[in-house]
Amino acid sequence: MTTEPQFETVDMMLNMGPQHPATHGVFRMVLTVDGEMVVDVTPHIGYLHRGSERLAEVESYGQVITLFDRVDYIANLNNELAWVRAGEKMMEVEAPERAQYIRVILAELNRIASHLLFIGTYAIDLGAMTPVMYCFRERERIENLFEHVTGARMMHNYMRIGGVRSDVPDDFVPWVRRLVGEVRKGVEESDNLLSTNEVFLGRTRGVGVIDGPSAVSCGLTGPALRGSGVPYDVRKDDPYEIYPYLNYKVPVGENGDCWDRYYLRVLECYESLSMVEQCLNQLPDGPIMAAGRRIARPPAGEVYVHSENPRGDLGVYLVSDGTDKPYRVKIRPPSFCNLVGLRPMTKGSYIADAVAILGSLDIVLGEVDR
Amino acid sequence: MTEQEPQATPDAPAAAEKPARHGPPIVVAEEVLNERGEETAAQLARTLGTLVLDAAGREDTPWVRVDAAELHEAAKKCRDGEMSMDMLNLMLAVDWVDRIQMVYVLYSTTNNRKAILKADLPAELPTIDSLTDLWEAATWYERETHDLFGVEFPGNSDMSPLLLYEGFEGHPGLKSYPLNDYEEW
Repeated sequence: MTTEPQFETVDMMLNMGPQHPATHGVFRMVLTVDGEMVVDVTPHIGYLHRGSERLAEVESYGQVITLFDRVDYIANLNNELAWVRAGEKMMEVEAPERAQYIRVILAELNRIASHLLFIGTYAIDLGAMTPVMYCFRERERIENLFEHVTGARMMHNYMRIGGVRSDVPDDFVPWVRRLVGEVRKGVEESDNLLSTNEVFLGRTRGVGVIDGPSAVSCGLTGPALRGSGVPYDVRKDDPYEIYPYLNYKVPVGENGDCWDRYYLRVLECYESLSMVEQCLNQLPDGPIMAAGRRIARPPAGEVYVHSENPRGDLGVYLVSDGTDKPYRVKIRPPSFCNLVGLRPMTKGSYIADAVAILGSLDIVLGEVDR
Repeated sequence: MTEQEPQATPDAPAAAEKPARHGPPIVVAEEVLNERGEETAAQLARTLGTLVLDAAGREDTPWVRVDAAELHEAAKKCRDGEMSMDMLNLMLAVDWVDRIQMVYVLYSTTNNRKAILKADLPAELPTIDSLTDLWEAATWYERETHDLFGVEFPGNSDMSPLLLYEGFEGHPGLKSYPLNDYEEW
């Protein structure tokens, strides 16, 4: 004989963050739970808001590069590239071919470093301690190269509007060739260790599913969108720099679940490694900086430039009033837009999966809050 | 096309409202669409018809300016019409001091085309219809724009502060907001 319970049931609020190891920064979400099930989720952001966009309005065009280093502090070079391309389009200059190759090599290596950080920390989120050790070892190799080339492990301030700051060291090409071999082995190692692990599959397969149309409506980009089967990649759809000369595939998922989003990043690591190798084979000699004035003063106007960052479509909308400082800089932060998809993904899942879903979006709070 | 700002002469009246600029004259960028941009512009003109107040564009991205009251209608036509702009790629506000301009970058994942909608709002009590019913992405963009520029979006059910904390006064995105001051909290 069963009877209906005689007590009233109410949804419980569960606060997660802002100081929580699984939120990868200062991010807070309030889960409304009914037993083990998440009924609703309210993300709270802004703990790291530094007003980068407003600050850029009082800096000269060259100084803004340092702000962009700090917007997404995991993929600094990709961010610098986005800004210098916006500046170049505004000022109607084009970087010499050698500079473009160097920038693409560094940006692709930074993409691998960022994805390695994701793979390692995502495994930690799901309770596997080992992969992060392997991933950080490989990431450190890439950071060492960046230090050798730019003088800093992070916050490089290396790219310039019209080229790069200095030419690469003499041993750059052999160093990168060796690095590509080592990192490829390392990525394979983590891939074999984690991707088809039974427990890992159980935690990520069919979790946090979002279908293509709602992903597009939420503004998801990057692996989060491609996991849902929408093949949108700025490098292919709006080619920039020397990407049209490279031969690469854009991996696309099918199910839109956490595992697809995770595995796309692993596949992208392999693609990026092959792109770096192609760039090394094609790397031309020549100048690294476009000839022009030292003080950049673009014509008055507006441009919108976007590029593919490890997290998605990073856009820069730049308004100039003709002086040496930008009038308005608006960053389209991919992590910020990807977080809009957190609610539709998390609703109806278990509490423990909320961590897996948030991790699979690979947010960087510096970029979410700017 | 270049446009020269009137040069300040040495014996100009000292009571001028804006101090004379030093440095070279302001040059205005030429806006030229390429072939692909022209196609998109033609599609936009067909889709929006009489809603268009002003149109131009650069490279492959045309823009049109529409009346703020008709922006929602224009955006809906862009989403549902032949352009099938299914993604709100970016939304921003630009503070031109005498007005606030809203800029919406739309993107179509099926046709791989971008287009920009613009709408001018008065600097006093800027208000524009929410696009949350068309694109989910608008929810956070609108809350952000409300925080930083004070633009009201009737139709967005949740306008709580997103980037700023509860009780923050002022709109730090506006040019009138002091940049070098700080407050303790």
